[in-house]
Amino acid sequence: MADEQVEAAIQHWAPRFVSNGIPLHDFRETTAGIDRWDDWCAAWVARGRVHEELAERALEGGHRLTAGEHLVTAARCHHFGKFVFVEHPDEMRAAHLLAVDAYTRALPLLRPPGRRLEIPMGAATLVGVLRVPEVASPPPVVLLVSGLDSTKEEVDAYGEHLLARGLATLAFDGPGQGEAEYAVPMRHDFEVAVGAVIDVLAGIPTVDGDRVGIYGVSLGGHYVVRAAAFEPRVRACASISGSYRVLDSWAGRPRANRMAYQVRAHLDSEEAVEAFLVDYDLAGVAERVTCPLYVVGGTRDRLTPPTAAERIAREASGPVVLDVVEGGNHVVNNMPYRYRPQVADWLVEVLGAGASA
Amino acid sequence: MTPTASTPEAPFSDREIDPRITSAVAHWGGRFAAHGIATGDFAEVTRDLVSWDQWCDAWSARGEVHAALGAAAEVEGRLVSAGGHLVTAALCYHYGKFLFVQDVPRMRGAHLRAVELHTRALPHLSPSGERVTIPFPGRDLQGVLRRPIGVTRPPVVLLVSGLDSTKEEAGPHEAALLARGVATLAFDGPGQGEAEYDLPMRHDFEVPVGAAIDALSAREDVDADRVGLWGRSLGGHYVVRAAAFEPRVRACVSLSGSYRVLDTWERRPGLNRMAYVVRSHSSSEDEAARRLEAFDLAGVTEHVTCPMYVVGGTADRLTSHEVAVRIASEVRGPVRLNVIEGGTHTGSNKPYAYRPEAADWLAAMLAA
Repeated sequence: MADEQVEAAIQHWAPRFVSNGIPLHDFRETTAGIDRWDDWCAAWVARGRVHEELAERALEGGHRLTAGEHLVTAARCHHFGKFVFVEHPDEMRAAHLLAVDAYTRALPLLRPPGRRLEIPMGAATLVGVLRVPEVASPPPVVLLVSGLDSTKEEVDAYGEHLLARGLATLAFDGPGQGEAEYAVPMRHDFEVAVGAVIDVLAGIPTVDGDRVGIYGVSLGGHYVVRAAAFEPRVRACASISGSYRVLDSWAGRPRANRMAYQVRAHLDSEEAVEAFLVDYDLAGVAERVTCPLYVVGGTRDRLTPPTAAERIAREASGPVVLDVVEGGNHVVNNMPYRYRPQVADWLVEVLGAGASA
Repeated sequence: MTPTASTPEAPFSDREIDPRITSAVAHWGGRFAAHGIATGDFAEVTRDLVSWDQWCDAWSARGEVHAALGAAAEVEGRLVSAGGHLVTAALCYHYGKFLFVQDVPRMRGAHLRAVELHTRALPHLSPSGERVTIPFPGRDLQGVLRRPIGVTRPPVVLLVSGLDSTKEEAGPHEAALLARGVATLAFDGPGQGEAEYDLPMRHDFEVPVGAAIDALSAREDVDADRVGLWGRSLGGHYVVRAAAFEPRVRACVSLSGSYRVLDTWERRPGLNRMAYVVRSHSSSEDEAARRLEAFDLAGVTEHVTCPMYVVGGTADRLTSHEVAVRIASEVRGPVRLNVIEGGTHTGSNKPYAYRPEAADWLAAMLAA
């Protein structure tokens, strides 16, 4: 009999894992073999190795496309081993390195290929992955913004619908996320990170750095509203299941979630985290958003009530599309068809892609 | 989900859940997910079902949800999205229909809608699809041809369905081949999809395969001298038969095909046997079983000389992986055998363990 945390994981995480590239059976088989939460990371790393071996065989045969597919799946397995395994920092980081390594090896094999970008942000350096579809002239680019426990290796999955419609994507690890999380704590003023990325895009001729959208999921759905409010170069913003005020739902959150906040904020107590999170509040912020905004919530979201989406949509000052999905869970990953194609189409319309292709 | 017996503590859970529903929920999630049904859709549609009789309507209703999304996207000119939603809509209807053989009128109603929605999706897919008519005695067959973008006169692979699959369920298989420069023709043969009402299933599947190759030979936009086969489940049996007797077949992928269908007849689920009865146009299980005697690869496999890729799964409830081993050992041409550890029927729980590799192999064999 698995412990409570593993049971909760099995019960709640399948839609997210599957909609972001883990085969349903891999989810079931891997989690069925886990009795104690402490074994979570190792089990997913082992599954990631299975996919890496398939990739190596494919490469030996010269099958690059296949190798790329397997490496992406491998990276996602390692990532999900790591994502909230914050109580075991060494093991978490080792799994994370495997995820980054597998994904980096996949990049030249993907269609379109990806390219790692270093993004100076003050004294720190962020890392992103830029993918540019084959279109006639430099396309608009959409920044894919992770949340508390996602990283660029996962949120690149949201970019597939964008690439298919002629938009470039840039998935990046911001402060407190992925490659940055060990040196750079999370911060509420996410416009700083977004601004740093946009600065870099200006020097890249294959994309149109004047047509930038941002697309954030979960805590990233909170960050993008903040960034759209204070970074005037943002031309369109899609916010999926973002909190209005993180502390509003604090007590009801699972322990692993609260612990992840503590670790990624580089703080040493829950009290300190709660004090820190006071600034994660869109009061007085949402109203400063003037660019077009697409807001998604789910009626069955355990982490962020759909009232947050409704409030963000109500307070923003620009044109808004609000979609509260009946039966949708957190980030509506149980029904991705309800928003991923729609958000992609909307971004194309607002940023004006396609016409240039 | 488990069947619940009536207990005094649970006055509202005393409905006997049809074992066919329980079994469907337990076994089909992987197949549905692998073809693009969202986890939330599978959970919501199956959650409240107690009787098998509700199955077709429940999936049809979900199909209409996607059809409405597709129609809205069409009206607004969001055509990439329209294609995606319409394919999913057709897939929901297909799964409503696929084993609903105890009620043919309702099954056929859902099927018509699946075909209609899938046909509407075709121009919006990337690459687009084209409905192709294959002249055939008694009734023309229907297929969907898709050609990879940027390839002149590509080789083409016939996607062969099984007992309960149809061309509308071929999407992920098509995608794997198209991405590797190979055109695809998914078609409904005798006893399958659009043909199943007029043409009973037949063991000599080289006949419809030959008809499909004839139809392709008349076209300039694919190379009918480089034809491969890709068959899943009963289609994995058919393609071995077709490769044995249709010399124009240049390479063949067989997924979880039976060696002799009757070997496992008694152990098959009731719905599976009933589908054989209905799609062989038999009036009883006994009659179907008599017809199925010819569904036997003894003396057939030794006629296969083209390269073969054979897949079995060690967790296959319907066709033992030993069958794949046997087929591989008997054919005369070069063989690649892939027995997937823990793989279920047609490897649909672990598509990554065969699909990209089999597609790479076919592309190489057909010099794509």
